[in-house]
Amino acid sequence: MLRAEYKVEGGKLIKVQLKKEDDKIGFIRITGDFFMHPEDLIEDFENALLGCPINEDAIIKVIKDFINERKVTLLGATPEDFAKCIIKAGGNVG
Amino acid sequence: MLVEEWRLLDTGLRDAFYNMALDEAIAIARSRNIVPNTIRFFRWEPSAVSIGYFQSMEEEVDVEACNRMGIDYVRRRTGGGAVYHDRDGELTYSLIVSESHPLISRDFQKTYEILCSSLVRGLRLLGIPAEFKPINDIVVGGKKISGNAQTRGMGVVHQHGTILRDVNPKLMFTVLKVPSEKIRDKMIKSVEERVTSIKSFLGRDVSFEELKRALIRGFEEALNIKLVPEEVTDFEEELALKLKAEKYSTREWNFKR
Repeated sequence: MLRAEYKVEGGKLIKVQLKKEDDKIGFIRITGDFFMHPEDLIEDFENALLGCPINEDAIIKVIKDFINERKVTLLGATPEDFAKCIIKAGGNVG
Repeated sequence: MLVEEWRLLDTGLRDAFYNMALDEAIAIARSRNIVPNTIRFFRWEPSAVSIGYFQSMEEEVDVEACNRMGIDYVRRRTGGGAVYHDRDGELTYSLIVSESHPLISRDFQKTYEILCSSLVRGLRLLGIPAEFKPINDIVVGGKKISGNAQTRGMGVVHQHGTILRDVNPKLMFTVLKVPSEKIRDKMIKSVEERVTSIKSFLGRDVSFEELKRALIRGFEEALNIKLVPEEVTDFEEELALKLKAEKYSTREWNFKR
């Protein structure tokens, strides 16, 4: 399992556990002290990222599309912050 | 002008699972229009750790230390970080209000600011120059004295938060996980620098009763409401016990991430 933590400016912390499959996201678990509303969409949020290439622009697009489609509000962390943490995990040796 | 009346509950010392279950039960009761907008005060017995909705219990909490010390651990329905709720050091409040109330903005950040202004006002009544600090904190002299978290659903806004009467960073890091033992002391120091309490700021003990009186006035003045002491309804109590048994006390919920 690949792991990374990313400290958002302003204080919130994002943690990612990741498994890669052919340089794509094969498994992802996002934890941390950020706010996301509605809360129970977090699993759908993770599932939306499955199969996404581990590439910052691609990840940001998936997250932004998910937020728009599902009317999600993020507080304390942006799509860019999540993408940075995922990229960081993807680069770590598991 | 007629002042709007809200219900005031004081549920005293209860366990972590009931405390979190009752919050949800009140929100459900409010969504069905069975109860009015509500402010609730509560405390934790035994002392407990709560984690944010998106956090991992294993990553945040030293579960073995908690078991050893008889400290409960529970996942909240709100996001945010892990909090140690000391039986004697902390007062917790919940605010449950209809989402259509004029106080509620669609903007979460704005709503935190409005609702937290009640606590700021209450603390100032005690002589503490508290200020709201986005996203969800209240600080005094730059140090955190209160943390807050909000969720919405079923047309209801639920915000709960803590007010520190007294703080014990050493105990806090006995129950919260630290990345390594080596940096435990450093983290305790850093908490001492970043967190304060009513006692450390004023240099005197403020009783729970005095604190609640100040906060009640803070809520009433800041939100332009009158708080009317009432009891938890049978509907809420029964639902809370059910939610405690079926959700908040279960491993499935508490360890789901």
